[in-house]
Amino acid sequence: MSELTISRRGLLAGSALLLASTALPTIGLAQTPKKGGRLVLAADSEPRNLNPAIVASNGVFFISSKIVETLAEASFDGKDGLEPRLALSWEGAADGLSVTFKLRDGVKWHDGKPFTSADVAFSALQIWKPLQNLGRTVFKDLQAVDTPDDLTAVFKFAKPTPFQLIRNALPALSSVVPKHVYEVGKIEDNPANNAPVGTGPFKFAEYKAGQYYRLTRNDAYWGKDEPYLDEIVYQVLPDRTSAAAALEAEEIQLAAFSAVPLADLDRISKVPGLKVITKGYEGLTYQLVVEINHRRKELSDLKVRQAIAHAIDKDFVVKTIFLGYAATATGPVPKNDPQFYTADVPTYPFDVAKANALLDEAGYKRADDGKRFALKLLPAPYFNETKQFGDYLRQALAAIGIDAEIVNNDSAAHIKAVYTDHAFDLAVGPPVFRGDPAISTTILVQSGIPDGVPFSNQGGYKNPDLDALIAKASETLDSAARTELYKEFQKKVAADLPLINVAEWSFISVASDKVGNIANNPRWAVSSWADTYLES
Amino acid sequence: MNRLRRFFRTPEAIAGALILTLLVAMALAAPLLFPGDPQAIAGPALLPPFQDWSLPLGTDRLGRDVLAELFHGARTSLAVGLAAAAAALLIGAVVGTLAGFAGGLVDEVLMRVTDAFQTVPSFLLALAFVSIVGPSLGVVVVAIALGAWTGPARLARAEVLSIRERDYVAGARVIGMHPIAIAFREVLPNALPPVLALSSVIVAAAILTEAALSFLGLGDPNRVTWGGMIAEGRTVLRTAPFLSIAPGVALVLTVLGVYLAGEGVVESTAVRRSLS
Repeated sequence: MSELTISRRGLLAGSALLLASTALPTIGLAQTPKKGGRLVLAADSEPRNLNPAIVASNGVFFISSKIVETLAEASFDGKDGLEPRLALSWEGAADGLSVTFKLRDGVKWHDGKPFTSADVAFSALQIWKPLQNLGRTVFKDLQAVDTPDDLTAVFKFAKPTPFQLIRNALPALSSVVPKHVYEVGKIEDNPANNAPVGTGPFKFAEYKAGQYYRLTRNDAYWGKDEPYLDEIVYQVLPDRTSAAAALEAEEIQLAAFSAVPLADLDRISKVPGLKVITKGYEGLTYQLVVEINHRRKELSDLKVRQAIAHAIDKDFVVKTIFLGYAATATGPVPKNDPQFYTADVPTYPFDVAKANALLDEAGYKRADDGKRFALKLLPAPYFNETKQFGDYLRQALAAIGIDAEIVNNDSAAHIKAVYTDHAFDLAVGPPVFRGDPAISTTILVQSGIPDGVPFSNQGGYKNPDLDALIAKASETLDSAARTELYKEFQKKVAADLPLINVAEWSFISVASDKVGNIANNPRWAVSSWADTYLES
Repeated sequence: MNRLRRFFRTPEAIAGALILTLLVAMALAAPLLFPGDPQAIAGPALLPPFQDWSLPLGTDRLGRDVLAELFHGARTSLAVGLAAAAAALLIGAVVGTLAGFAGGLVDEVLMRVTDAFQTVPSFLLALAFVSIVGPSLGVVVVAIALGAWTGPARLARAEVLSIRERDYVAGARVIGMHPIAIAFREVLPNALPPVLALSSVIVAAAILTEAALSFLGLGDPNRVTWGGMIAEGRTVLRTAPFLSIAPGVALVLTVLGVYLAGEGVVESTAVRRSLS
């Protein structure tokens, strides 16, 4: 009988606990971050070169952004969407020929040497401009970096360069590496590319291939009391289904970059102790794009491209393939971009009858078997979603009498087939929008790009109007005028369809409730994590 | 008739024959029961099985009819299994007969080549071949056959070695038949039965290899394959396990059926041999 007796004290204690448990999350937010602890998280790829100054890609940033810092980081509420890191302030000259950075005082490299403007000058001139995948275009006119004193760096440009572009490029393109480490020998072969040295809150400790990367606390970090974590361990889990299981077994506390498959999110959000977070990737928008080879006679006809655009049910793609974790696209700039996006562009609502009519008009009548012509379709293999969209697109094209044959390749073969050999008619690609169309978006449309440059216009598309517009925008200094030009660019691209933008998506994090200060900036997964902490 | 009755004496053989008949019926009926493209989107995505009787086994991630995919997948599996086995037997029989009948240097060279192929794991060979040439149905068949012809080749050679000493072969030589004609018209047909007994093992292995290749994304993406279905279902294994289980069960039953039927054939011929 004793287990059934309910004492008043017991009841009171119980309800107090209950009350406390509902209040806990709010208390947790107000709490000052705890020091110490090891954060273990899932990593799905193992980049060999960890130098973010050379390889500016999210896979590299994910690990090295904790070690190597940039001049500025993206921010939800900072001015121009930025917040200071190694630079305290930045100012562009009115003639667009120089940008002055004031640097943070008292910053030390992990090996104890002081950080100075010479490191910034060296990184910009020796690495960002000649070697970095994205810096090559943005910093192409960078001529010199003057260093009047240790804490001032003045970027000098040969041609007027929009300050807006330089500003927007700072979070991803401005990783500063130590001059004294890199000035000896060839930069590409420097051992620090595999064991980076930086100024960041964490130091590189070790890497075991196929197992983990380990970072340890930088006790001499410039941020007050930061970092809070003692260690970060990236557990290599290439199999996406295993990340969810590892989270549930509490082997890892965080899976970023949608390491947990979208289809599992609904289930995992109900697991006690885990939370699903869709914020923190606003600055890393991926675009689902149909790349078109304009060398094909049929596809060089605008009516055919319009027909294909009308044949794609974007809502279906967002709802079924991305399970709602995406948005439909209208043009080459994503809807969530605060500076450049315009909705005032030609749109292509899902309309199979209209698509069929357009193809008839273009002179591609259905043959007796119901087919108009055949195409080769190459879905990019990087994401499950791009492959699934390939399967969907094949069906959507079948509905308008276009017989698409899917060709599957691995990553290397896909890049070669599309961007070097041009052995495709349609391809499904996931380009990234990086906060400014001039960084990695206009290159998808511009003509005259040499063969073999990945994620660029390799479809043989040439439109002098658009080329002129892109050239004009690249030298327009006034932010408002430049923004207007890019709105014009969006209209023209949506009207002429050099490629078809279908959807825009970002990533999802799943984390243990114990991890604090998650998703507090638009590039959180690839930011420094100096303020991230673990509740005990 | 006698032989058939002997075949159906064992319950295993009956079970195998039943499964195989069902499978062939599925494959043949697929275009009649499910006309059009089985990969067409037929309903809402991830519909669980036994909910909607127009889509009895539910739908997959994109809303494709799982039952239609299973039926059309049977076509691919059987087509690849049979074609690869036929190709392997053909290559094996020709190589084995040439080696056994010619002897000497030709024998040495052909058998060393066979050895070389045998030392490479056949799945690795198929994997490498498909990833270099590019995945399509024909390539997959050739890739599987490349790793499977060595067994029939060795067996055919051994048979030919004993047959070529028979009187009727000597007779054929005397009447002036061309050696190639003797090898393929007189010797090979008699060497074939034991080689054919290998076919069930080869078909079953070929079906499994095809499924494994498709699972790894190296099957023909324009056709439904059971391996590909399992691979796609794997990403939603926890939420919709049926998408992987259904093609998995189909695969198990098929391989089991082929083995059992093959066993039945071997046993019935073995009984006949011991009787004679």
